[in-house]
Amino acid sequence: MRSANSNTLYAMAITFVLFPILILLGIFLRTVQAGGLTGLQSWFYPLMTLHGVGMVGVWYVASMASLSDVLSRHVTPSALIGRIALIGTLIGVVLLLACVFLGRFAAGWYFLYPLPFKGEWPAWSTVIFLLSLTVLGATWLIWSLDLLRAIAKRYTLSQALGWHYLAGRSEPVLPPAVLITTVSLIAGVAALLSGVIVLALYYIELLAGTANDALLMKNITFFFGHTLVNLSMYLGVAVVYEVLPAYAGRPWKTNRIVAISWNCVLLIVLFAYFHHLYMDFVQPGILQTIGQVASYASAIPAAVVTIFGALLLVYRARMRWNLASLLLYLGLAGWAIGGVGAVIDSTISANLRLHNTLWVPAHFHTYFLAGLVFMVVGYFYHRCQEMAELPESAGVQKLAVVLMVIGAYGLFAAFYFAGAYSVPRRYAAYPAELAYGATYAAAGAASASAFLLGFILYLAETGKRWLKAVRAAP
Amino acid sequence: MNRARLCGVLAALACAPVLAAPDTGAAAQASAARAEGRLAGRAVPDIPLTLADGRRVQLSELWRDKPLLVTFYYRRCAGVCMPFLEWVRDAVRTVGGLGSDYRVLALTFDDAETVADLRAQAAALGLLEASDWSFAVAGKDEVARVAGALDYWYRLDPATRQYDHNSLLVGIDRGRVVRALLGTPSGSQRFRELVWELRGSFVSVYRVPGRTLLRCLSFDPLSGKARLDWGLLLLVLPAFAAVALALATFAGAARRT
Repeated sequence: MRSANSNTLYAMAITFVLFPILILLGIFLRTVQAGGLTGLQSWFYPLMTLHGVGMVGVWYVASMASLSDVLSRHVTPSALIGRIALIGTLIGVVLLLACVFLGRFAAGWYFLYPLPFKGEWPAWSTVIFLLSLTVLGATWLIWSLDLLRAIAKRYTLSQALGWHYLAGRSEPVLPPAVLITTVSLIAGVAALLSGVIVLALYYIELLAGTANDALLMKNITFFFGHTLVNLSMYLGVAVVYEVLPAYAGRPWKTNRIVAISWNCVLLIVLFAYFHHLYMDFVQPGILQTIGQVASYASAIPAAVVTIFGALLLVYRARMRWNLASLLLYLGLAGWAIGGVGAVIDSTISANLRLHNTLWVPAHFHTYFLAGLVFMVVGYFYHRCQEMAELPESAGVQKLAVVLMVIGAYGLFAAFYFAGAYSVPRRYAAYPAELAYGATYAAAGAASASAFLLGFILYLAETGKRWLKAVRAAP
Repeated sequence: MNRARLCGVLAALACAPVLAAPDTGAAAQASAARAEGRLAGRAVPDIPLTLADGRRVQLSELWRDKPLLVTFYYRRCAGVCMPFLEWVRDAVRTVGGLGSDYRVLALTFDDAETVADLRAQAAALGLLEASDWSFAVAGKDEVARVAGALDYWYRLDPATRQYDHNSLLVGIDRGRVVRALLGTPSGSQRFRELVWELRGSFVSVYRVPGRTLLRCLSFDPLSGKARLDWGLLLLVLPAFAAVALALATFAGAARRT
């Protein structure tokens, strides 16, 4: 039994508390779109903002905490920095709750310029929102740099990037998780620094009254937001590389192909965000083309190599299927399925039709919920069970997984079909011409409720193990 | 030292409200830009005009075969009319394209003016022989219709017998506003942008009203193309900084071991 550090256990607790609340907010949003809760309709956009920023933040922290725990098998991250990151996250969440519930800040998770300055919410709520992002960004940047520092204490940069595999050498052995972490964190630092820049530009406008260029702000905002979300996914994949072999009874090692594919990601992932600006006709055409090429190129090497590797790992293996291994495997599937939707959306000709429709929330919910969330909660169960060693209830675990899968894919289907039928996104209520959007919204709300039920079962299974682990923690 | 830093931070915070005080010039520019934006695509009523050479034509005849620039004035104006018309004349000479890409109409909103007044105005500007410049007068109601469609206002001050009014230059193509310039522009940059649009070129980037720290792109009115601006450096800076930080982190760790 390997005990978890208390930071990992706290990160689990934060996730277990915040995730169901954020799911409820999501159900609220779809219910309002379905025509229900009309008295609370004015809360749609503030709560959409909280749902979006909250989900991105919670799962970034959860994946970083999981990764930090995984890395501690190979290197030594600082417990103090990990604690600071969690405290910073809590402060950021409190500030976010304040600006949404007290100030009704409602600029969306992407807070596109100049919307934060143009809404009907008070100016102070915009300041609190920016402060929230500042606290979160600063602590996550320090956290990322600390994990890189921990890796650097054992590996050189070329070793951590697996370049010796490219040269035909297999020593020193590099765990895939370390390779993926190095790639993801270098790109993650770039994303967080772009967050620092965009926040600095907001503060300059606040203090000096200097106007900003909307196109520049949108580019930097999506460099920050898109890249960070993308990298959260990769952190989850790193965890799967580390843990799934334990259930398959086979190793999953770094080799030349794996090294090439993840190094490609480092080069390409920073350019993929351009696909968020296809609708911005002012953006130079060459950047739009780069966006499409980079979106394909960043998705295919890592995803294909990982999915192919996972299939080979599982094929004819004596797999031990339980809540953890099922969720980890399904997480890879969700990543691949959501990736297909994302690649379609990143195709310029398709994007012109789909960008402002529910197709977009469809694909990011797919790879985030059925991808990253499944991977991380699978890891959380794995670690809790590893520490608690309680007997497992196969029936309850399978029921939890079935409910979560049916709920999640029902939610996605309602989004995908609505998007394909041109139902626009970000509408709180649909006009008569789009009344059919309400039907899809109702189906989405029902499916999300099924997912929540499954997650509660998951919590029951994992929670008791978590409690035992906390009691046993040093 | 720490106390000095703290004082500096507090001083900066104390100055913040002053620094953030609204820039009235920028606010006026932003307001004008919004007003100009609202005019884009507006239909302009077709009215009968009397030109300086005495011909009676429909307004639509002037925009039938090429776009038309329209501005308003009155002969007796002791204020902005003459300087504004001179600015238009000079900008047309500087930028070129008169006759080939567009023609210009100066429409008086003083219905008491005669053909002789129109000719005198043209002569004062040295444009009497300029074939693609037109000076015109129309009935009070007709001018009011066009002015109303373009949100252009003028009112007679009985005390001074002068009109209170603003300045407007509108580019019209086939009866619809392509772009408008409101107020008193300086230089020919914005006029060039207007002419590019009249030529059918798509001007994708306009300068944001007020002080802008950095921009992604800017429009070069000479070439008619958008060009990359310094702000784009902010898109590559984080990547280089991240690589530098990674190199420093790994190099530092290697030195320590």
